[in-house]
Amino acid sequence: MRQRKHIAAVIALVSLIFIVIPAIWAPRAQAEPFTTVPPENHPELNDPVLLKPFMEMETFPLPEQDTCQHCHLPGEITGIWTPLFRWILFGTMGLLFVYGTYRAGSVWINRKPWKPLWARAVDWIDERYDVVEPALKILKKPVPLFATRWMYCLGGITFMLFVIQCITGVMLAFYYKPTPEEAYASILFIENEVRFGAAIRAIHHWSANGMVVMVVAHMLRVFITGAFKSPRELNWVNGTLLGLFTLGFGLTGYLLPWDQRAYWATTVATEIAGGIPQIGDIALVFMRGGWNVTAITLSRFYAVHVLVLPVAMIILLGLHFLMIRRQGISRPL
Amino acid sequence: MTEGETEQEEKTIPFYPDHVTNEAKLALAILVVVVVVGVLALWFPVGLGEPADPMNTPLHTKPEWYFLFLYQILKYLPKTLGVILPILGLLILILWPFFDRRKDTKRARSARVILAIVGVAAIIILTLLSELS
Repeated sequence: MRQRKHIAAVIALVSLIFIVIPAIWAPRAQAEPFTTVPPENHPELNDPVLLKPFMEMETFPLPEQDTCQHCHLPGEITGIWTPLFRWILFGTMGLLFVYGTYRAGSVWINRKPWKPLWARAVDWIDERYDVVEPALKILKKPVPLFATRWMYCLGGITFMLFVIQCITGVMLAFYYKPTPEEAYASILFIENEVRFGAAIRAIHHWSANGMVVMVVAHMLRVFITGAFKSPRELNWVNGTLLGLFTLGFGLTGYLLPWDQRAYWATTVATEIAGGIPQIGDIALVFMRGGWNVTAITLSRFYAVHVLVLPVAMIILLGLHFLMIRRQGISRPL
Repeated sequence: MTEGETEQEEKTIPFYPDHVTNEAKLALAILVVVVVVGVLALWFPVGLGEPADPMNTPLHTKPEWYFLFLYQILKYLPKTLGVILPILGLLILILWPFFDRRKDTKRARSARVILAIVGVAAIIILTLLSELS
């Protein structure tokens, strides 16, 4: 793009799309009528849970003071469909359109041999970071046919379920409240009020069970094919620890809904830990944060479930993959 | 079609694109299953039991299903032994490669298959017993 008229054309087009047209056509936020009754089309201001901060005020905030209208248009207060998001979405599409238009210009096509856009992006990165060569080395690694059998997929399936758990877990953590007073209600809120909350929770619940099944199946496969033998002993130890962490996730996560089943199942489980000779009492008090299952137990289990175990799991998973990559997949008999 | 041969006369396929495609298809299948589970949940959500009541122990309190076999073992063995034995079993499992160092044979593999089947069957039976009692 060396000629000035090209640059001028792009600037004119971009300013037309993003400045002139929005200045003329973009909708303006309308001032809401100033009443003490929440407006009908303002769902958040009619929700008793979310209404709490407004209870202290004598009148509802003026439109310019209404925090919601910082991002939303009045009457359109649902989810991420805000002016900013629309700007980003349509702006990105607009930019892509502009770029595509520009690239389609014959002057550009005649300058160099045509290369797909993604190939140009890869070249740009490769010039700076030299990643293509090691990446190709990884990508070209031959995979022996025995490793494409179904039972060699079990570990990968477990890992994928773990990733799904991380994603759904974060989404649940956005709404879950880890105190005995609010935990139960927050889960009800997720299931009933949050959009697709019931779906996310069910995915998290069933993927947890699925992950336990898959991790055991994967371990059995490794055991049966003798892939634990030298020089892979350390990887086996690593793998059993990963399996234990999976059970740990299950144990700590089960308490979080704070319903009868969760509370008493945790009581039973920690009692069993208390039965270990010599260290049983210490183990029980450490797990429960006291002699009984209380709010401290819930906080402790939540911290382990959301901070300790994920970090430990990711570190051990990294080592697991590194070791496999370095030593290669073990050959069966 | 793009199979290559190594010096050991072994058939291999290139990681990219062949195996990556295999794995991508599998990942997509799992994603579909997961999404179906999610969609079904909109009509049949997981739900909750009664809110926790520390003063009130329900009659049939049990751990989660993957711990039921341990719970059942505890019913048969005295408290200390019932805790020590599974821990011992776990230690043997973790350190198995250091016990079994011989070169692998078909016979050893069959033995491991049988051991695995017996172990899994025992765990399943214990779990079912625990669930139904």
